[in-house]
Amino acid sequence: MSAGISSSSAWALHAPLPDPAASVSLSGVRVAFGAQTVLDGLGWALLPGQVVGLLGRNGAGKTTLLESLLGLREVDAGTVQLFGQPAAELDDSARARIGYVPQQSDLFEWMTPAQMLGYFKSFYPRWNDAKVEGLLSKWDIARDKPIGKLSGGQQQRLAIVRALAHEPDLLVLDEPVASLDPAGRRDFLRELVDQVLNRGTTVVFSTHILSDLERVAFNVAFLSAGRIALQAPLDELLETTRRLHGPAAAVQAFAAAHRMTELRSTALDAGRQQMLVRSAGDASVPAAGGGVGVEPVSLEDLFMGLTQ
Amino acid sequence: MTSVDLFSIATGSSEPIYRQLVEQVRRFVAGGQARAGDELPSVRELAQALAVNPMTVSKAFSLLEAEGVLERRRGLAMVVATQHRRAQPAAERAQLLRPTLERAAREAAQLELPAAQALSLFKKILRETQDPST
Repeated sequence: MSAGISSSSAWALHAPLPDPAASVSLSGVRVAFGAQTVLDGLGWALLPGQVVGLLGRNGAGKTTLLESLLGLREVDAGTVQLFGQPAAELDDSARARIGYVPQQSDLFEWMTPAQMLGYFKSFYPRWNDAKVEGLLSKWDIARDKPIGKLSGGQQQRLAIVRALAHEPDLLVLDEPVASLDPAGRRDFLRELVDQVLNRGTTVVFSTHILSDLERVAFNVAFLSAGRIALQAPLDELLETTRRLHGPAAAVQAFAAAHRMTELRSTALDAGRQQMLVRSAGDASVPAAGGGVGVEPVSLEDLFMGLTQ
Repeated sequence: MTSVDLFSIATGSSEPIYRQLVEQVRRFVAGGQARAGDELPSVRELAQALAVNPMTVSKAFSLLEAEGVLERRRGLAMVVATQHRRAQPAAERAQLLRPTLERAAREAAQLELPAAQALSLFKKILRETQDPST
């Protein structure tokens, strides 16, 4: 898949992780700010063509994680590899395969979009002028107005255009739609779908807008307590996760009898309990019984349950 | 050709998007809106129109193919399978409504609504849906 395969295959026979074919792989990553540990022995891999939504509460460290995986932030421990190369020592060809939309970019405010894109174009061996022109027109971005004078939404669109222009194999987006209205978000999602259809781009993005994530993220990853608490296809999570409620002892017995894994539980009034559980992949999900209610969950429920 | 406009998905649901698509196609075929040989939109068209991940659409199509609702024609297009020449009998179509009604029944029970009240609400909604002007 990438140039890194040959160099890493020797030890890959003995170590299952990191996957040498992965676009991104992190293992044992630790990042601390003073006494506060943000990433705590985090392991993660993104395979080519995966579209992964990264979910976590405010302050969970999503931006820190995305910056670390891009090699923009030095990690205190662990390894980060992009296309089989150490993230901190990427060569130019690997660098050219990455597109990044940061949460906030207030650089180049004095330049016009045309000047800024011209400047970036000079760094990349590949640059799709037709795509850039098409998106600038479609998204109504003034080419000759200083970037600092564009609206927040237009600046965000421009950052997306910049990240897509060199047709990256890996696209990293940190809250890419926060300033966009619903129509702008839909345009952006369509563009993302096109990227995936036409280029098989690996995509990771964080957002708090769960409805967007649900549409395009085939996989979701939950960041909690400095680690990826769970990553799985969203379909599978919705189909295997249930909320149980009833008398505490009955709920616990029910979960145990059906070999369900507890994800989170909350004590309710009068000795009752609510428990978010996941069935083993192949087991069918049991119906309610023995005083225990069984209900399906939405992505929002999963978010609340898995990000603490 | 089944138009992409016929398809819609709801986010925030406990029903995965591929499942929603599967159920929609089953309903079109059972109701006779889509018949044997009718072509479905391609994965690409549907993914772009709904702004959903193409893998989600292919997953739905593969499942429908395995169930014998759709067939894969040479190339990429999916068509409604040969045996679905006409709409299914009403009794069979009604079965497709069952999961939705089961969910409604569960929620009515949680709300402690008497059956008669739940039924009269459903009748009212049916009337509104058939004739939106009322």
